[in-house]
Amino acid sequence: MNVVLKRKIEGMVAISLSTLAALFGLFWLVFILGDVLYNGISALNLDLFLNDPAPAGVDGGGLRNAFAGQLLITLFATLIGVPIGVLGGTFLAEYARGKGISKVIGVLSDIMVSVPSIVIGTFVYAILVRPLGHFNGWAGSIALAIIMIPVVLRTTEDMLSMVPWTLREAAFALGAPYYKVIIQVVYRGAASGILTGIILSIARVAGETAPLLFTSFNNAYFSVNMNQPVSSLTVTIFQYAMGPYDSWHTQAWAAAFVITVFVLILTIAGRLIIKWRYK
Amino acid sequence: MLSKKNPLDMLFASITAISSFAVILLIAGILFVLVHESWPAIERFGIVKFFFDTDWNPVTESFGAATNVYGTFITTTLSIIIAIPIAIGIAIFVTEISPDFLKGPIGGAIELLAAIPSIIYGMWGLFTLSPIMSGLIEPFLKTITQDIPIISALFAGPPMGIDLLTASVILSIMIIPFTASISRDSFRLTPEVVKESAYALGATKWEVIKHIVIPYAKLGVFGGVVLSLGRALGETMAVAFVLGNNHRITSSLLDAAATITVTLANEFAEADKDIYLASLFYLALVLFVLSFITLAIAKFFLLKAERKYSR
Amino acid sequence: MKKILAAALVMTLMVTFSLVQAADTLNGAGATFPYPVYSAWAYEYNKITGVKLNYQSIGSGGGQRQITDRTVDFGASDDPLMPEQLQKDRLLQFPAVIGGVVPVVNIAGIKDGQLKLDSESLSRIFLGEIKLWDDAAIIKLNPGIKLPHREITVVYRSDGSGTTAIYTNYLSEVSAAWKSKVGAGKAVKYPVGIGAKGNEGVANYVKRTANSIGYVEFAYAKQNKLVYTQLKNKAGQFITPSFKTFENAAETADFNPTKDFFVWLTNAPGKNAWPIAGATFILLAKEKTGSNKKVAMFFAWAFKNGDAKAKELVYIPLPKSLKAKVEQYWKANGIN
Repeated sequence: MNVVLKRKIEGMVAISLSTLAALFGLFWLVFILGDVLYNGISALNLDLFLNDPAPAGVDGGGLRNAFAGQLLITLFATLIGVPIGVLGGTFLAEYARGKGISKVIGVLSDIMVSVPSIVIGTFVYAILVRPLGHFNGWAGSIALAIIMIPVVLRTTEDMLSMVPWTLREAAFALGAPYYKVIIQVVYRGAASGILTGIILSIARVAGETAPLLFTSFNNAYFSVNMNQPVSSLTVTIFQYAMGPYDSWHTQAWAAAFVITVFVLILTIAGRLIIKWRYK
Repeated sequence: MLSKKNPLDMLFASITAISSFAVILLIAGILFVLVHESWPAIERFGIVKFFFDTDWNPVTESFGAATNVYGTFITTTLSIIIAIPIAIGIAIFVTEISPDFLKGPIGGAIELLAAIPSIIYGMWGLFTLSPIMSGLIEPFLKTITQDIPIISALFAGPPMGIDLLTASVILSIMIIPFTASISRDSFRLTPEVVKESAYALGATKWEVIKHIVIPYAKLGVFGGVVLSLGRALGETMAVAFVLGNNHRITSSLLDAAATITVTLANEFAEADKDIYLASLFYLALVLFVLSFITLAIAKFFLLKAERKYSR
Repeated sequence: MKKILAAALVMTLMVTFSLVQAADTLNGAGATFPYPVYSAWAYEYNKITGVKLNYQSIGSGGGQRQITDRTVDFGASDDPLMPEQLQKDRLLQFPAVIGGVVPVVNIAGIKDGQLKLDSESLSRIFLGEIKLWDDAAIIKLNPGIKLPHREITVVYRSDGSGTTAIYTNYLSEVSAAWKSKVGAGKAVKYPVGIGAKGNEGVANYVKRTANSIGYVEFAYAKQNKLVYTQLKNKAGQFITPSFKTFENAAETADFNPTKDFFVWLTNAPGKNAWPIAGATFILLAKEKTGSNKKVAMFFAWAFKNGDAKAKELVYIPLPKSLKAKVEQYWKANGIN
């Protein structure tokens, strides 16, 4: 009897503790999200999207430059990073399937995914900013693309591996060369999975700040010239939140809100596609 | 499969091969560029001396990494210590305790939270957490520890809310979802059959968790923790807001400090002398190598876990 | 085929984006000290001329580094470079505006200009030797003011900063202990405190941290309603920072074009001179003749039309004679 009771109590205690831990963890996380949503929504207004920043310490103005710049940098990062990632993943899953090199590159990519993004910023500064003689949007896009490549590569590899081998064999039987089989059969079969990988990789880089600090830098004006410094929401948040002006703080909350919502929508979309496709 | 006769096929194969080698090329490129750029500093300060020199002084042009390495070490260690129990608690809750209809939403929420950009955590830390730390938590910690000889030294100095402790708390909040979701995936590896048979023998829920689920998931969870450690090592924005960039080694957790990442973020674009910039590249190199090793270890354990249970 | 089309589209996009409005942007980076006035000027200038002067306040060290690396069209720094250094890096240097660095505090109940400090107490606070606000040395200077028995939190600049250069230059001049223990420079190794990025960051941290002291350019103190202190100057007077007392400090300075205007305004001898004043400088790359012309045009415009705005933010516009000297300096170096 005593032993049973002791076991029961121990179980109760342990289970309550882990429930508490879970609640505690979730509490902080909900707190952050709630805070961003609450402060962000109240800071939103139309001027934010239509105007460029006012001079320091003057109220008003907006972040049009940063919104446009962020979109531009992310767009070009996607255009550079996604093809390389998808093609690289194709090699691992198709031509090098099961070979040693495929494993090595796979593991290296997994490591690359978590390499400190600020290190990538310093790397791109050394190869693209200093030699070209100015901070520029391309450098920012390329820094983000470097972060995207391993993410897209790995998901593509996984998704292609899930396409049944028999599908390919059926196409081979019709006399199609391998590259045609890949493009017309395998990619089609794995399309939604690859798309998810791309969406999630965009979500991953859209909120990156550290690699942009020394590459795309910042610009107080609306500019779509990628050869010049380009503003981004994240770098602006860093500058504004660390600055002393209350109007900056408000705008930083608004920018944080927009970025967070954008990233969350992408993440949810990615998950939904997986759910819808693979269930 | 690869028909050697078809030139288009060869072309496509080469393009994909080059794309995938981009990863190796990038890693090698980063390593080469960092070594090349930091060479003047490596030559001048050496390796061992750079690591253990606590002087980071742009006026005298004397640079040592010790204060930065120390800050990185303390914040990551502390944040992992805070995060592990909570993350594992969440993982246990989601896989074993929670009623089924809550499993999905809570799991999803955790994954969403892992997706929130780190700069949001950092900014929230400055605006919301820092006042809470300096006004409430830090004075409380000071009061309860003031009579305990060694521990009180950990909380010496005025509670500013911009210090090692606040930075570590932010960092831990940031890696909790990450660690939790890996741990959860590892817990799920436990075969239902084994669990069922334990229940059939009259084991309580906790006993099943303790004797079956956790041993099964051990390797995976460990790999996950090391992976989180690697993440925390390289995290910049979450800590940059509340660390106070101070190049000193202090015993108090209520003092400002510097990590490798924050030093880079604050000083990289504005280092005026060449040797200063070279030293910053050297710091980046140190960080790259440290995190690479950590992540490789994590990967090793995760692969081992996968191999062990996916048979 | 689709792929080729897509690739072509991407290429076209890239080229278009690169060509669109390439010419009318000027990129500058550097000192945070004059950022409020530069950004106000640039805002006006953009309205009138359409030229986009993108000034990023990253710190004077950054200004010097980025113009030396030629990654910007002009650099800005409050830490003047010696003529030899300018020669070596093929740079030009001229002053743009004059301002003052002020100690700011955040102590409950203390108002603007109420707290009096002298060079001795100020340097000892920043050395960490005076740890509490009710230290005897501070009480002695402030009879009748109730100071809290609280630990002082020092806030300083962690980035390469001309404001720090001016401030530490002053402290080194007035305190032998400071000179030997810390020294002067854009980024020095402070023995105590927390580091913030930019004048903006220091203002922010002082605002948020009770019982703190920091140093910022006066415009930041004004704009953010930070509490500044009085300071005893070389003539032994307690001085409140103001337009007048900054001007007084600038009057005695010798700006010499043949020395690229290299001069410090700290610890000026004038009876009513604020002791921590400084000029802020613009750095140009000698060979960038095209953009130099445009930068000079901007400052010529600002010299002519920007005085009111500068005064509003409590910067001292350059005296007329000095403006003329700067314009001659441009001519002598082939700008204009």
